[in-house]
Amino acid sequence: MSEQVHNRLAMVRAERKVSRQSLAEAVGAHYQTIGYIERGQYNPSLDLALKISKFFDLPVEALFSLEPFRPLTDKVYGRNQP
Amino acid sequence: MTTTRLTRYDRSMLRLMNDRRCQAWYATAARRRLAVAAHITLTVAIGALMTHFFLAEGEPLWPVAAMAVLLLPWMVATGIINGATRGLLELREHVLDERQSAERSRVLARAHRMTTLLLAATAVALLITGGVDGNAPKAYAAPLLIAVLVVHWVMPLWVAGLRAEDEPADDEMLEAGASRRA
Repeated sequence: MSEQVHNRLAMVRAERKVSRQSLAEAVGAHYQTIGYIERGQYNPSLDLALKISKFFDLPVEALFSLEPFRPLTDKVYGRNQP
Repeated sequence: MTTTRLTRYDRSMLRLMNDRRCQAWYATAARRRLAVAAHITLTVAIGALMTHFFLAEGEPLWPVAAMAVLLLPWMVATGIINGATRGLLELREHVLDERQSAERSRVLARAHRMTTLLLAATAVALLITGGVDGNAPKAYAAPLLIAVLVVHWVMPLWVAGLRAEDEPADDEMLEAGASRRA
């Protein structure tokens, strides 16, 4: 039951210059919950994950994954994983 | 949170419980533990004074005065723990988000297990003292019952206070940016 869900929420949120508070208000969650998701201390429900994805206008798999995300620079500049 | 419309009471409680002015008082785990320890100590002291008041000959008034004095710091400690948990136990269910609802259920379940153990220990202690001194259960049953009831009432608060976690790292840069844009 404690499957770790990896996410890129902190990075995307910083990139879009959205505060935790405003994201939390938009998706109907507490700002601490957003922080706990970013720290990997809480796995959001499908409902909340979809709301967050919709807020950023991104597919849910761009933000949440069961596998660790590859660093974005590796993806952009095509460096292969070791 | 907020799939149901919030009442004025809900909104004011939400604001109160998320007021960050006293955040420094519960910012670290050590301070939260200290607040819970102080709350437990004050609860025990108030309970002891109440017991003394009921059991002492002539019902002296000083325990009532002492209780009234101790109630103020007790309320402050309650407020600190509620602030640390962001009103986990004080806010109504529909005001909490999914993480908070799940956390409240975990807190209540753990508190229930602990008070069950406490009740069992109290019953065993009463039976043993009854075996030694036949009158003891009759004399101590009422104060013990009240003590257990009080503990049952405040145990979720203690558990929630001890389980509360540190704030996620500051978001000041983005918040400052947002306020500049506004």
